[in-house]
Formats: sequence, structure tokens, C-alpha cells
Amino acid sequence: MTNSSNVRTRTPLAVTLSVWKALFLRETITRLSAARGAAVWLLLEPILHTTVMLVIFTVIRVKVVSGIDVLAWLIIGLTFISVYKRTASQVQGAIGANRSLFAYRQVKPVDSLLVRAFLEGFLALIIILITCAGAVFLFDVDLIPDDAGLVLSGFLGLWLMGLGFGLVCSVAVELIPEMGKIIGMLSMPIMMTSGSILPINSISEPYRTWMLYNPLVHGLEVARLGVSSYYHVITGTNLLYLYQCAFVAIFLGLALQVRFATKILTQ
Amino acid sequence: MIIVENLYKRYQTTHGPSRWILEDVSFVIPKNVSVGILGKNGAGKSTLLRLIGGIDKPNRGHVERRCRVSWPMGYGGLQPSLTGRQNAKFLCRVHGHEDDIPEKLAYIQDFAELGNYFDEPVRTYSSGMKGRLQFGMSLAFKFDVYISDEATSAGDASFRQKASDAFKNLIGQSSLIMTAHGDGALKQFCTAGIWLDKGRVHWFDDLDDAVKAYKNSIGQ
Repeated sequence: MTNSSNVRTRTPLAVTLSVWKALFLRETITRLSAARGAAVWLLLEPILHTTVMLVIFTVIRVKVVSGIDVLAWLIIGLTFISVYKRTASQVQGAIGANRSLFAYRQVKPVDSLLVRAFLEGFLALIIILITCAGAVFLFDVDLIPDDAGLVLSGFLGLWLMGLGFGLVCSVAVELIPEMGKIIGMLSMPIMMTSGSILPINSISEPYRTWMLYNPLVHGLEVARLGVSSYYHVITGTNLLYLYQCAFVAIFLGLALQVRFATKILTQ
Repeated sequence: MIIVENLYKRYQTTHGPSRWILEDVSFVIPKNVSVGILGKNGAGKSTLLRLIGGIDKPNRGHVERRCRVSWPMGYGGLQPSLTGRQNAKFLCRVHGHEDDIPEKLAYIQDFAELGNYFDEPVRTYSSGMKGRLQFGMSLAFKFDVYISDEATSAGDASFRQKASDAFKNLIGQSSLIMTAHGDGALKQFCTAGIWLDKGRVHWFDDLDDAVKAYKNSIGQ
């Protein structure tokens, strides 16, 4: 579109950046204030989840998992898996939630996906920091990372994986609504085999090796190793594998966005 | 100037593709000419406006906008969970008016006359209130062409008067592409007319001829 002379022309990059900013603020408001106590629940959810799991582990008398305190093991597992889980599910629902805003030519479906992923990663980071700080000061859990770089690379990998999976799923759900049910069913086995609540070390071979095909395992293991160098990492852990899966998923997801851009807009 | 060339549009339904809503449609809207679009319900008026506004893509053909064209006002554009004010702010940011948000907000608030509802979520609005907000939001920005999907019918009599005054002020600097119930509003603002019938477009330089053709077709 060419502009008439009396109006200043914005570069495509400037338009995209202003759309991202507007969408980011719009998403933040809804995420933190739409439902009653939305911000509180964001923090309460991982805490309650950890508590429930801790009670179960205490009943079956597990105090140490793979060389670290069970509470530390659980907190890292549950907060880090939700980096992936939340990002994936929020990105998956982004198009539907922002459909009315596509009435403005400047706002493209892919913008809403990327902005949601960014917001979710940002919120996850804050939740992790608050939860861990609380555990350190209140319960004296050893969560001060021995290698912060490793923890961060695990976090980043899980976030990218969530983004990639969400990008693919968002197109799938828009084109074939029934896919939502199938993706929902898939999420259970993905969680169970990720090693977030079920210690993979307690599983016998050859099944343990099979579980390593789940890319999330690698992110969680590396994050735990980063927190405590005493942690016995599962043999075969390979952070590169997680990143490879994530980038394949992101590439596939973006390609699907381009291929079906018109169909997504048109319905 | 807006150039529409060999436009084809149909939708995907659960039973396969629909009939052609628009079939091989071509026309040119010259600069500063306001156009009224006539046609039966389901003739494709909204579809045509969405295609001209660029928020939907044709199956074939293309639309060339050689001017600044508004989004189709009265068609979406409001996020139900956000308040009127937050929606208006979003719009300002998207259109690159980060710096003069207070002025734009003041204008929209004043125009839409929503009172305290301006700070309530849009999902609590009646359809008339939504229409007023959308109207105010689009008029807060300068466009060469405004696309109005029955926007003049939003709200009560006094608001309609205000809307038509605002539209009249635009004539000269900007033009309109509009649909409306009844030809009264169209005759007030438009000089040219488009009659949509069975997927085809008939262009009339004089709106009265378009109205006649339309009325003949429905047997009036």
C-alpha cells in the first residue's frame, strides 16, 4: 500500500514493533487481571502443585532423588516443565483469543503467537525466581545454582520447545479443530515421560533409554545439574538434542504459518 | 484510488467450498468518490468490504489500495476482555500514535459518549455502545477512505445525527465506502453506487441508478 503524501510513512519494521508492543501490553493485562486473582494463581499453582507432590513423595518415603533433596528436585521439575507447558498452550490459543484484533491489517496472526510466547517466558522466569527464592529463605532448600549458565540454557531450551510446539499446534487447531482433543491427550504422556514428577532413574532399561526420546527430559536434567553439581544426571542427557527438536518445531511452525496464513485469517 | 481486479471469493464450509460469493469482480473507486454498496442480505456486501479493507484475502484476483484505507469499522476490532479505553489505546499503538494517546483517547471518549462504561470491559457493552466506540475509534485517525459497515445505524437517534454530522465533515478530505440499511443514509453521503447481485458487481456513477436497479431486483 502506498501512502498519500500528507501522511508520514512508517517502515514495515516500525509497524511490526509497534504491533508487538501493543499486543504485549494487551496480553499482559488479560493474563494478569482478566480472571479473579489471575496474578495470584499464577504463583499459587506451582506452589500447590509442588506441595501435593511433596506429600505423595513423603508418604512413599523418598527424601533424596538422584543425589539431591526431593523438594529441590520437585521444584525445579515442576516450575521448569511449566515453562514448556504454559508457553505451548498459550501460543496454541493465541489466534483464537486475538481474532477480533485481526480486523486491523497491521496485526498478523503470527504476531500474536510470538508475543504470547515472549510474555509467557517472561512470566515463567519471574515465577521461577519467586518460587525458588521463597523455598531458599523459608525452607532452606539448596536452590542456589552452582552453574547459572546451565540452568538458563535448560530454561531457554524448554521455552523454545514450547514456542515450536505451540506454533505447530496453533495452525493444526485452527485448520482442524478436532486436533485440540488429540493434542490434549498427547500432553499427558509427554508430561509423564518428561521426568518432572516421575524420576527417570527409577525406571529400568530399556524403557529409560526410550524416555530420552522426549526432548523435555534433557532440559529438566540440565537445569537440575545446573542447580546442584551433585545431581546424578541420567546417562545420555544431551542438551543439543532439545535445541535441535526445538528449532525443527519452530521452523515447521513458522512454515505452516506462512503456508496457511490466508486460511487462518479467512477461517 | 482503489483498484479491484478480477476478484473471486468463496468460503470453506464443512460441506466443501461454498458458491462464489464474489465472481470475477472488477471496478475502480476514484479518489474522493464515496460509494454506497447495495444488495440483498448475503449478497456479499460485508465480504467485499473486508476484502477492500485487506483483512480477508480473495481466492483469486487482487485489491490495490493507493491511499490510506481504514479498517472496516463496525466489523470486529474490539477485544471483549479489555475495557473501551484499553482497546482504544491498543489501536493508537498499532497505528503508531504512541505520542498523542491522551488526545486520541479524549476524542474517542468524547465522541462515543459511553460515560463510566469507557472503563468497563467491552463484553459488557450493548451492540449500540460497541458501534459508538468503533465509530469514535475510526474517526480519531485520519484516513483517505473510511470503510463503514452499517456504522451509521449504531446507537440512538441523537447519536446517529452526530455520526452523520461527523461523516459530512469528512466529505472533501476523505471518502466513504459504506453499506447501510435503507438508502437514506447512502443518499446522504454517497454519489456513486455498487449493486451486488448473484456474485456480480454492477457499478453506477450515480447512486440513484444503483438504488433503482436494486429495488427493481427485489420487486419494489
